[in-house]
Amino acid sequence: MTVGNAGEGRQMDGQPERRVRRPLIDFDHYRQRSLSESDTAWRRAREQSPVAWTEANGGHWVVSGYREVASAFKNWEAFSSARTEPEFSSLSVGSLRIAPLYPEELDPPAWQPLRRIVNELLSPGAVRRLQPRVAYWVTYYIDQVIESGQSEMAADIACPVPAAVALELLGFPQSDWERISNAFHGTASLDRQTVDFAQAVEDLDWVSTRIREELSERRRNPRDDAMSFIVSHEVDGRPISPSDAEALVLLVVGGGVDTTTSLTSAALVHLNRYPELREPLVEDPALLDSGTEEFLRMYPPARTHARIAARDTELGGCPIAKGDRVLLSEVSACHDEGAFADAGRFIVDRFPNRHAAFGLGIHRCPGSHLARAQFKETMRQVLTRMPDYVVDPGQITEYPNWSSIGGWARIPATFTPGRRLL
Amino acid sequence: MRIRVDPELCTGHALCQLHGPDVYVLDDLGYNTTSSRVVPPELWEQARKGALACPEGAIAIEEDENDEDGSTSAS
Repeated sequence: MTVGNAGEGRQMDGQPERRVRRPLIDFDHYRQRSLSESDTAWRRAREQSPVAWTEANGGHWVVSGYREVASAFKNWEAFSSARTEPEFSSLSVGSLRIAPLYPEELDPPAWQPLRRIVNELLSPGAVRRLQPRVAYWVTYYIDQVIESGQSEMAADIACPVPAAVALELLGFPQSDWERISNAFHGTASLDRQTVDFAQAVEDLDWVSTRIREELSERRRNPRDDAMSFIVSHEVDGRPISPSDAEALVLLVVGGGVDTTTSLTSAALVHLNRYPELREPLVEDPALLDSGTEEFLRMYPPARTHARIAARDTELGGCPIAKGDRVLLSEVSACHDEGAFADAGRFIVDRFPNRHAAFGLGIHRCPGSHLARAQFKETMRQVLTRMPDYVVDPGQITEYPNWSSIGGWARIPATFTPGRRLL
Repeated sequence: MRIRVDPELCTGHALCQLHGPDVYVLDDLGYNTTSSRVVPPELWEQARKGALACPEGAIAIEEDENDEDGSTSAS
């Protein structure tokens, strides 16, 4: 990696003593093919400059320092996530073709009414009411493998539990769950050259079609589910528009199905290496609370999110021009030694732990309460029912790309068989 | 001791309540509605931990000279 200072020595208008800094970095997060490659690349980026410019992917800022990432996340007026092109995501640099995700790809004031709907669906109180369903699906999916003594824990547990909880809440028929889950899990976990990957990408369009069909059905025949709740809402005194409702459901599906999966997988792999942590996590609820935050900090599922500068601004001493693409790294913020003592070490009772795994500012992951509840329930049950699970480290398969969502494609484990509970 | 919560900065992480369940009151959506309150000594520990846990830095703690335990303020 190289670093330079293009433009150093030029002066900003009216501020003669301040130098324009534009540190150049040779950096492309799409080249991060494993967890360790990704962590290493971000560490180097932090060491070189907390804010730097790369020519990769059409040219964009790379923000790796905790302070700078937090400051940009909290300043939505300057660092906008609003959709600017109809077909392409504003949340990643380069061109990712996906339908809009609302309210994440909206700025206030349009953000506010849609955010309120998501908040109502996923509030701490709503999550407490969902807890029995969370527990049920964790038990159900463990039941499917418990008698055999073997499990591919990514496909058998980490993937289907969050999908079942989110898709049942929304009201999708159970026959759709696996294909919806695979569409998101597949685009993240499969090699881009494979037929299965192409199928997963096609299936994302199918997901959008299914969302449209189900929403239209809910408008005619409301049920007791979140999709009915969404279409019954008013935005600015008028019924929510079909496109807003679709974008909102897609956000809950996309945010719900493969992110908690990544966190659960990370913890299962981590605890394979450090089995001595298993019993304390089950025995001490406070340790599971703090451990959950530390798993989030060490292994944030969403590793980066992009923004677009909505006006000329400054970040970490660098001049950001209106229209510049800005890549904010949650993972790098979470690993910043300047913000976390001994940041490279997993400290199960770390406190305080003001990590950025759920993002910060107004777009803070609205599913964070549900994610924590699902993760804790899954860990409690796995570590109680399969306390001696062992994964052959040589059989663990990571996602082939760690640019935006990281995770594990395969975690094949063996354990002492147990009894079904349902 | 007094806590002050900046509602403009709170984005509903709800971690203050995890660490300070008897100090911090959240609304139905998980946002902190405790704009300002005096905290009795038995809850100081909860108040401090809740403030330290907030990733948005939305909670300030003001300690009087009378608080007397030598702790520095967190914000």
